[in-house]
Amino acid sequence: MTAYDRRTLLVGLAAALVIGGAVSYFASAYPDGLEKTQEDLGAAETVHGTVAHPPSLFEEYSLAWLGEGFWGNAAAGILGALVVLVLVLALGRILRGVRRTDHC
Amino acid sequence: MHIGSGFLSPPVWGAMTAVSGAALAVSLAAAGRRLDDRKVPLMGVMGAFVFAAQMVNFPVLAGTSGHLGGGFLLGVLLGPALGTIVMASVLVVQSLVFQDGGVEALGANIFVMGVLPCLMGGAVRGLWRRGGWAAYPTTFVGAAAGVLTGATIVILLLAWSGTLPATVTLAEAIGVMDFVHLFIGLVEGAVTVAVAAFVVRVRREAVFGQGLAAPLGEASA
Repeated sequence: MTAYDRRTLLVGLAAALVIGGAVSYFASAYPDGLEKTQEDLGAAETVHGTVAHPPSLFEEYSLAWLGEGFWGNAAAGILGALVVLVLVLALGRILRGVRRTDHC
Repeated sequence: MHIGSGFLSPPVWGAMTAVSGAALAVSLAAAGRRLDDRKVPLMGVMGAFVFAAQMVNFPVLAGTSGHLGGGFLLGVLLGPALGTIVMASVLVVQSLVFQDGGVEALGANIFVMGVLPCLMGGAVRGLWRRGGWAAYPTTFVGAAAGVLTGATIVILLLAWSGTLPATVTLAEAIGVMDFVHLFIGLVEGAVTVAVAAFVVRVRREAVFGQGLAAPLGEASA
C-alpha cells in the first residue's frame, strides 16, 4: 500500500468516525421521510410476513449494553463504519485477485 | 428511506431481490475486470463515510427527518458498478447488524438507494472528469432527482404489496412521499456536490484512475 492510499484511508476514516461516532448523536429523532409518509397515510402497520433480523450486539444504532446515550451511539457509529470499511476492503481485495488471475 | 420488515409482499420483494441480485452480479463482473488498486481504499472509506453520514438525520418540515442516501455520490466517485457494490455493502450491514431496513426488503432497498442513484451518478461522472462548472448544477439536480425517483418507486412497491390503505389513491401517496423527499433531495443534492467536489479535488487519481501519473515522489506499485 502506497503513502497515497494510507492517507486516503486515514483522512476518510477519520471523517467517517467523527460523523458516525459524534455528529450523529445530535441527529434528529423525528421519523424519516418514508416512516412519516407511512404514518400519515395510515400505512405503518406491517401486513406481510417478515424475515427476522439476525441476533446482533446492537439495538438499532446503539450498542446494547451501553444503552441509547452518547457512548452507545458512538460505539454503533464507529464500529458500524469500521465493519463497512473492512467488508468493502475485503471485497476489493477479492475483486483485484479476480482481475490478476484474468491477466495470467 | 429504508423499507422496513413486513411492508413488501413476497412477489414484490422476490422480484426486487432478483433485479438487485442481477445488478450486483453484473457490477462484480465489471469490477473484477477493471478495478485499479488505488480505488480500493477509496471504496472502503466512501462506504464508511456513507454509513456514518446516513446516521445523521436532519430535520425537514414539521416532525420529519431525512438523511443522506449517498448512492449518487458513490456513482460519481466510483462509477455505477463499484458504487453499487459499496452501497449494497452499507445496506447489508445496516440491515443485518443495525436492524435498519427489513432483511427481505434488502433487494428493494439496494435497488432504490444503490443501483438506481449509482447509475444516475455514474452518468455525470464524465462531467467531473472533464472539469468545469457544468458538473455542479447537473449533480445537484441529478442527486435530488435520484431521491425523488427512489421515493416514487418505494410508494409503487408498497402499493403493489397491498400495504397502502384503500382510502388513499396512488397519486396521493406519491404526492405525500415526494413532497417530503423534495426537501430531503435538496439536501442530498447540496451534500453530494460538496463532497464530490472535495474528493475529486484531493483524490483525483483515485477517483479517475487510469492514465494519470502517480503523485509526485511516489512509485506506482
